[in-house]
Amino acid sequence: MDQALTSVDTDLHPHFRVFSAGNFGEVAPQRLSPMSWSLVGEPMERGTRELARRLWGSAPWATGSHFVFVGYLGCRPYHNLAAYCHLARSIPGLEPDDVTRAYFEGIAPPPDLKALRPPPLRRAFGARSLLAELAQVGDRLRCLEQRVAELERGVREAQVVDSALARYGVLRDAEAVLDDAWALHILTTSALVPLRAMQRRTYDRLIAHGDEIAHELNRPRELVWDRLHAASRAQGDYGPGGFISTSFYEVADSLDPWAGFTVRHRRDGATRPARSTGSTGSIEPAEAVASMLPKWRSRVVQAMSTTVSDTMAAREHSKSLAMRMLHVHRLLLPSLAADLGLSDGAWTYLLRREMSEIPLRPELQHRVDARRSACERALATPMPEHLDLSDGRGDIRPWQAEHTSTQRGVAPGVGTGVALQDHDEVPDEPIIIVCTSADADIAPLLPLAEGVLCERGSEFSHIAILSREYSVPCVVGYRDVSQIPPGAAVSINGTTGEVNIHAP
Amino acid sequence: MSVLVIGGSGYLGAAIVSACQRRGLDTLVLSRQGGSGLSHEVKGDVLRPGLGLSITDADLVRAEVTEVVLTFGSVDWGLSPAQAQAIHASGTANTLAFLRGLPSLRQAVHISSLLVLGDSEQRVSNRDLFVGQRFRNWYEYGKYRAERQVRDASDLPIGSVRFGPIIGSDPLGRPISVTHGLLAALPTLVGGWPVHLDEGGEFDSWVTDVASAAKVVVTALTEPIGRETWTWYDPERPTMRQVLTDMCRGWGTVPRIIDAPSLRRVNRWLAPRIGLPAELLPYCAPWLSLHADVLDSVPQPWPIPDRDYAFATGASARTGPASTAAPQARCRR
Repeated sequence: MDQALTSVDTDLHPHFRVFSAGNFGEVAPQRLSPMSWSLVGEPMERGTRELARRLWGSAPWATGSHFVFVGYLGCRPYHNLAAYCHLARSIPGLEPDDVTRAYFEGIAPPPDLKALRPPPLRRAFGARSLLAELAQVGDRLRCLEQRVAELERGVREAQVVDSALARYGVLRDAEAVLDDAWALHILTTSALVPLRAMQRRTYDRLIAHGDEIAHELNRPRELVWDRLHAASRAQGDYGPGGFISTSFYEVADSLDPWAGFTVRHRRDGATRPARSTGSTGSIEPAEAVASMLPKWRSRVVQAMSTTVSDTMAAREHSKSLAMRMLHVHRLLLPSLAADLGLSDGAWTYLLRREMSEIPLRPELQHRVDARRSACERALATPMPEHLDLSDGRGDIRPWQAEHTSTQRGVAPGVGTGVALQDHDEVPDEPIIIVCTSADADIAPLLPLAEGVLCERGSEFSHIAILSREYSVPCVVGYRDVSQIPPGAAVSINGTTGEVNIHAP
Repeated sequence: MSVLVIGGSGYLGAAIVSACQRRGLDTLVLSRQGGSGLSHEVKGDVLRPGLGLSITDADLVRAEVTEVVLTFGSVDWGLSPAQAQAIHASGTANTLAFLRGLPSLRQAVHISSLLVLGDSEQRVSNRDLFVGQRFRNWYEYGKYRAERQVRDASDLPIGSVRFGPIIGSDPLGRPISVTHGLLAALPTLVGGWPVHLDEGGEFDSWVTDVASAAKVVVTALTEPIGRETWTWYDPERPTMRQVLTDMCRGWGTVPRIIDAPSLRRVNRWLAPRIGLPAELLPYCAPWLSLHADVLDSVPQPWPIPDRDYAFATGASARTGPASTAAPQARCRR
């Protein structure tokens, strides 16, 4: 696979050059248009850099004109695995394995660059600052949701009055809101890793079977997706759930070639009553734990699981806001391109920043043709899931992980039912959702399911968090999903990761 | 009448199969490994879809079975939350779903435990299930979840029989395991270590012998139990001290049971050092208080427990590999 990188690629960091699609690989399209990348990758990079600066100061390795934490290579979005693992080493008590287990399907981390580590005191202050930031997340999310709603209203009004000026106003105002949404997503995503590691160590000291109990207790009480799916059904495109019926991440999801890469998982389960989740008076495992422990231990255990669960919920909330902002751009950009006289689909090859500058610098639109050619070349180049560019020549080599990920349970419980693949009709019997990857758009099906079996996923994947909220067992990393025959009986154990398939 | 005994190769399961056969009932055993040699046997697993039965076996069960006994699961007070919920909660849910597909089902009996009531402070009856109890371990919680599901399956003719600790010689002559449940205290006791029990162990043990427990289950099938809950223990109500003393007699020793409340504070530290599993500590105090009439639900005449069954339990624990822990405990002194 020795093929030179194409010109749409982001510049590489001088030291951190091992990339992984990671969480992108689970939920985002395999390839993104340059415009979508500028609405996803660029704000994520800004948000992560800013977070790193607040926690550990202005380290030289986290600055520069190149991208540090994410990468856009061959039109595929990547996380910089080496940089994230380095961040993990900057937090006391955290190991790179904690990061790869949480978001990179358990692959082996790249080697450490000890010379770039912050000193121990700085690391300790960084951890304290992270906790302090986490305490503000709830308020920030509430404020941000109001700003997102205003922009959604703004884009609809601009379309109704058909005003180019109003559209530009929305585009200008959207930049800061989009940045904030991704910044909050980065903060909550990052914070979950040390919180979970701290919980693991504390539980191991306080209770027997600590890790299993953490599995049982780490359940978000209420995720934002229910509200958004309900709004989508009730208000259609005019409510906050308007984005649900689109694909996530790609704003050019109706234009070629990007439409061919979009991911849609949405399933409508409204035709069947939800499964019974327990009976009146039944005691939940969380209550059972509380009754087994002395008071002070019980309080510590509950407090830690509440913190982790609330951070999971905040992560989903921030992601929903980022997706709503992408939808604002999805509605806005085609009209803006028409205002600017751009040819059909040309806007997808521009970056957001370029689009906003075209009225002042019309020559920017001449970049479209060169970039279109570069994208065509990039799309014809297979890009591996994990990418090692550390040889410095730009050759595309897969990252040779020391161990490959194995199937594992990420939401506890045992579920048995009939396999339901992506395009099957929902049968009138217990089902196990079987899929390659899953995102929050699968949420309406979860109340009907006895379990989820997914090829892609990690401990804090969106599907793992959603499954926990719905108390549905979930196993990820199952490599033979495509081999499961339709109608097969499947049983999964969301704690041990055990899977049994019985052909019909 | 054809009885399917799910978990019929286990300790209580084998006794139930024997008791059924003595009553002239056809039996079919469902077990993971098979090999009990007691009855016609099919391989299956309650955690698998359709109980993991082959098509032929599933057809056989559907065609012939009219009664079912649910006696699967592990009596291990050290079960992890996942193990307890998988085998007891999910296993029961799967089995209930399977029972709904049996066209000739007349009666099913779920083997429950008095420990579903945890350490409830109030006096409890057969009607009670949730009384604000605290659970001592995940085994109790798993059994609670299982009985909860059975009670909620109002569309099925299924009742529950609750037992306390079941002891006595293994019906198939296998060595008694001293790794789980009440018997896990045996190595420490026969090793001569002093063990604290509240009131010196003069509280109800709620034990019964395996043979009379099996007879009660057969009565529940034949009477039948309907959707009721029954409780059974040795009507003689031996105390915990009596039971432990009789079991140790099988080893030729007298247990050193003491009433030393001051030991309670250090028990967590001390127990593993003298070979006493930590999960036994919550059982050093009276377990629960039962209404006097709980036995009345079991139709008369009541089965008579085997003579000196606690002694036989201790004696049979000496005969196999499971008993090797006891001499080790003795050596440590």
